[in-house]
Amino acid sequence: MATLQHTSGSGLALTRRAALGAMLAGAASFALFGPRGRQDIPAGRIVLDYWEKWTRHEGDAMERIVNAFNASQSRIWVRYLVVSDIGQKSLVSIAGGNPPDIIGLYAFNVTPYAESGAILPLDERAAARGLSLEQYAPGIRRVMVHKGKWWATVNTAGSVALYYNRAAFRDVGLDPDRPPRTIAELDAMHAKLLKLGPKGELQRVGFLHREPGWWSWLWANHFGGRIFDESTNRATVNSPECIRAMEWMQSYARDLGPERLKIFAESFGNYFTPENPFLTGKVAMIIQGPWIANLIKAFKPDHDYGVAPFPTAAGAPADAPVGLIDTDVLVIPRGAKNPDAAMEFIAFTQRQDNTEQLATAHCKPSPLATVSESFLANHPNRGIRVHYDIFKSPGAYVPPRTRVWQQFKDEFDTQVQRMWRLDATPAAALAELQTRIQSLVDHSTDQQLRRYGDKGSGGAT
Amino acid sequence: MSAIPARSVSTVKPGRAERRARNRNLFSGLLWSSPWLIGSAVFVFAPMLMSLYYSFTDYPLLEPPLWRGTGNYTDLLSDPTFRRVVWNTTIYAGVSIPLYTLVALLLAAALAGGGRITALFRAAIFIPTLVPLIASAMVWMWLFNGEYGLINKLLALLHIRGPAWVVDEHWVPVSMVLMCLWSVGQGVVIYIAAMQDVPRQLYEAALIDGMNAPRRFLHVTLPMISPAILFNVISLTISAVQIFAVPYVIFRRPDGQNPAGHYYSMYLYENAFIYGKMGYASAMAWMQLLVVLALTGVLLLVGRKLVHYSRL
Repeated sequence: MATLQHTSGSGLALTRRAALGAMLAGAASFALFGPRGRQDIPAGRIVLDYWEKWTRHEGDAMERIVNAFNASQSRIWVRYLVVSDIGQKSLVSIAGGNPPDIIGLYAFNVTPYAESGAILPLDERAAARGLSLEQYAPGIRRVMVHKGKWWATVNTAGSVALYYNRAAFRDVGLDPDRPPRTIAELDAMHAKLLKLGPKGELQRVGFLHREPGWWSWLWANHFGGRIFDESTNRATVNSPECIRAMEWMQSYARDLGPERLKIFAESFGNYFTPENPFLTGKVAMIIQGPWIANLIKAFKPDHDYGVAPFPTAAGAPADAPVGLIDTDVLVIPRGAKNPDAAMEFIAFTQRQDNTEQLATAHCKPSPLATVSESFLANHPNRGIRVHYDIFKSPGAYVPPRTRVWQQFKDEFDTQVQRMWRLDATPAAALAELQTRIQSLVDHSTDQQLRRYGDKGSGGAT
Repeated sequence: MSAIPARSVSTVKPGRAERRARNRNLFSGLLWSSPWLIGSAVFVFAPMLMSLYYSFTDYPLLEPPLWRGTGNYTDLLSDPTFRRVVWNTTIYAGVSIPLYTLVALLLAAALAGGGRITALFRAAIFIPTLVPLIASAMVWMWLFNGEYGLINKLLALLHIRGPAWVVDEHWVPVSMVLMCLWSVGQGVVIYIAAMQDVPRQLYEAALIDGMNAPRRFLHVTLPMISPAILFNVISLTISAVQIFAVPYVIFRRPDGQNPAGHYYSMYLYENAFIYGKMGYASAMAWMQLLVVLALTGVLLLVGRKLVHYSRL
């Protein structure tokens, strides 16, 4: 130790040299052996970053489109990056001023992003690339346009319909070619399909509102109501139609028993597994999007299923199919470095051949108004025409277009769980929800007025 | 210690060379610690100050903040979801911290001795703490599955019908507390280290005085390891108030958040990054910080009376 003290100056110098050497060695190693981009980008190209949320076969299908675009011309190169929690990461990247050039978001993101000016309007750029709104199916346009401006294009789209187990129908003497058309028929079929075990435990149910439970807010639309009125900017969750819809939902929980349902639901596997209750036959009818055909193909190719528009209650319009349209969208964020090049790529994805290729891989209908007959004939989902009809139907609806939708939905889900557990009557739960949601909507509107005055928003006008 | 040259106390004014050496030392010290100083200033203290400002604004992240005074704080008081997450977090912290401490102490007492078998058990108890949180959450989801889960299968062997652990709102808090015990190994290691530091002669004196093993544990071991217990309880309190990853994986599902599994930090995150209410989330974060500081302060005050710091 004495030596150390005596030679502290030279010891320090040695330590410094060693530390600097180690840092330089680290930096050199990082430069030589550190992470590399997976692609070799040809020189001279404009590089676009494209964030997308899909993985597995859905991501592979989109990557094929990207590769086709990169090979189709020599000016632009699209770098495809799969991003989890894409909504949150997009929010932060746009707010931080360093977003990618193209983002694949969800339909419900369009309203808040458009109103805050976080995405660029596409009207002029799309027109310059030969795109027009008329190219898209009527229901799809409602997702793309907000307050008179065009904000997003749709890369894949689905509508929600009733999927039913034809084999189970046959088992109980129901006609597999005659799915329910009204809520009353659905109830009757559910009762017939219900199967109990020796101890009274549930073995099969006809229909279950909470499976998969992704759209617990939509029943009102099948009772002639809606949960939000965009024209007045008011929540309408305690309208008579909504209360009736929720009473209908709660009647199932009351009949089947919340405790018995809990145990039954615990036996369901996750959605994308062979233990999905629709595949195992535990739930004979479910509300689902067209992508479930991919699940069936992967885990139970011989599953005999049928597809029909989800039924409507007496009193609700029944002349056209009623169904939710849920889509994935492509947007150009504020701060994108090459918005024109980004639009060129987006226009490529919107070509009929590309939309059909992607839609086929995702087991979805094409978002375009015109589709080839071969697309429909060779589609892996046997009920694709039902989904496509919903796109064109005046009964189609989209998630409420309000900035507070994400919280609206979460609060709605919480109340639905209370009703499902029989902890609250629909009238009471929805009255509470109405007050809560309206205060969120009003607060958001007030802040927008303070921020932008009569203009109303930072982007959409 | 001997590597640092001792300075003689002198009233003589330092010479120019000495002053230069001292300044050089200071400069070197600052230079070497500058990454931490700059990093903390830029990435910790500046964001903290900004979040304090944002907590008094309406800040949707994509648009500039708008001043709204204490509006976010008053809104918290009337927010039913906020009340629910505060309640859930309080229950979790209130039950999990004492239980964790008790189990960790008992295990440490049992494993403080030597021997190969003991070493094996120590390793077995510590290993779960090395598993990433998300991975362990996924494992617990399956262990607690009402139909296929191992726990209910074992209960079935005893002719007990296990509950829907992660679905039933009455059992969700229980499952969360049980999952917290998964990482008890960390506390056990700290307590074992503290127990091994207790002077042997104290136990010998206690033996001579006729104390049996439980009394020796109560009157010798516990007071002597009380600084370690205080440290552990403070760490546990901070992590319990901030519980996030495990319940987020298990209870935030596409069919809706299980209200019983909704905790403070989850709601804070949702406000900030899902609902785009960064101002509101910042107010929540500052409330959380104040609560953590207050709890830590209370624990330190209590510790003054109960914690034994003296050494023989």
